[in-house]
Amino acid sequence: MLHAEAWRPAITTPLTAAGQRQPDPFERLFLEEYSKVVAIAYRVLADRGAAEDVAQDVFLQFHRSQSPNAEHASGWLHAAAVHSALNVIRGERRRVKRDTAHAVAESAVRLENPEHLVVAAEQRREVRQALSRLPEKAAAILVLRYSGLSYAEVATALRLKVGNVGTMLRRAEEALRKEVTHATFE
Amino acid sequence: MRHLNEGALRRMYDEPLAMAAADQAHYDSCSACKTTFERVANDARATTTLLALPAFETQPRQAFARLSVRVRDDEAHRPVRRHERWLTGAPAWRRILAPVGVVLVAGALLAGFTATGIVPSLIKVFEPTSVTPISVSPSGLPAANTVLDYGAVTWTPAPPSAEQVADASTAKARSGLPVLLPATLPKGVSGPVSFGIISHATGSLVFDGARLKASAASKGVKVAPMPAAIDHSTIYVNAGPALIEIWGSGADAGTTGAAPTLVIAQTRVPTVESTGASTKQLEDYLLSQPGVPPDLAAQIRAIKDPSTTLPIPIPAGFATTKSITINGVQGLLVDAGLASGVVWEKDGVIYAVGGQLTPDQVIALASSLH
Repeated sequence: MLHAEAWRPAITTPLTAAGQRQPDPFERLFLEEYSKVVAIAYRVLADRGAAEDVAQDVFLQFHRSQSPNAEHASGWLHAAAVHSALNVIRGERRRVKRDTAHAVAESAVRLENPEHLVVAAEQRREVRQALSRLPEKAAAILVLRYSGLSYAEVATALRLKVGNVGTMLRRAEEALRKEVTHATFE
Repeated sequence: MRHLNEGALRRMYDEPLAMAAADQAHYDSCSACKTTFERVANDARATTTLLALPAFETQPRQAFARLSVRVRDDEAHRPVRRHERWLTGAPAWRRILAPVGVVLVAGALLAGFTATGIVPSLIKVFEPTSVTPISVSPSGLPAANTVLDYGAVTWTPAPPSAEQVADASTAKARSGLPVLLPATLPKGVSGPVSFGIISHATGSLVFDGARLKASAASKGVKVAPMPAAIDHSTIYVNAGPALIEIWGSGADAGTTGAAPTLVIAQTRVPTVESTGASTKQLEDYLLSQPGVPPDLAAQIRAIKDPSTTLPIPIPAGFATTKSITINGVQGLLVDAGLASGVVWEKDGVIYAVGGQLTPDQVIALASSLH
């Protein structure tokens, strides 16, 4: 009798005949990409805990549906991280106040001037709201590039030609600036 | 030369080394481009300030431990995927295959023992070199609970088990079979591909007339006494390893029930050997057992050389079959309308290619494996 369980992708690390620990492809990918995935979600959410939650969801979804050896694995993770995080800020408007308070508390360690704290937190909130109002691709390209991805990585994640990334990034920056300015004078 | 566009200048701000030599030469001598670059760079710096956040250190190993718990929980509650049900065998299929399986399993376990000389008196009763269809009707089959106990079954080293492996090289190393891939994927089939292997195993069945009699009595089934030539004889089935490649079986297949778009499978031919009973004795006896539909028995009896022919069960009304020449040998094309497949045996390996493809597509794909 064949057991269905045996077909399920295992997260446990297989052992060689000699008992040596083999590197598990999924674990290796996770360790390589986790910080980048969190950074992408954090750039959108400005909340460490929420970003780590998004990263967990993204990797779980990846494990269900993708091969860690696939060429597109990293691009898939980066795209999923930014889209998932954007969905969070679009779908949960009520989180904004709580996150702002959290960001204020986190920043308090670093900033001494309480006025600066409030201004920085308010600015972050406005930027996040502005991001949520941008077209999906514009927001995604901004977030990925400002999370430290190269132009080639951004192109892979968003399925663009690398030669078009600069132009689209430039437009997205202008769009963000307009959104933030608009929000400030509203 | 035309001025550099803002996109190129934007990239130059981030990745100056990526600039083409001609663009760089133009930029070095163009004051207009330098002015534009300054504006682009100022906007980029302003955006950096807008999107700036306090930094923090991530803890990937702790995060992986947390994820592992979720993955285990997720796996425990995930519905069984279509191809897993296919491998495991749905109840109807188990019923279909049970009588055939008895014939195969009862006959097929011994090659390894022959090779080592442990059982010198073995008769090879089944070692297929060709394939043939047999039509089976699910409605005409008995319930699973009427499958009788013919004797003790032992697996060495363990019953065959299926396992997904990470990549082609692992699949090759674990199965000992070359990983054959199509030259190109037909339209509608796309990656990623999953690799699975089924372990090699040798199983034995020691026929036990008394045990069968007791089993039949407990289920209210009448059976004829087991012939002396078969009672206490042993058959050995030597099966696997097998290597399976599956496309289109991602998470979507698990949640939507979608079938794989393409499956390529290969396995060493199963062999069946017996310590006493001949192929004909085993066939006559097993096909006359309760639970084997008469039309199925007739089809198997009609196989000219049952010791070298692998019957492929085709559900009646589900598909049509046609004998074809594939890769220089005789093979079987199965056309099920929305899906089709081809099965052939060559040099001791059985190959099967199937999917949501037309017969022409599946033949072309099978011919291109390398």
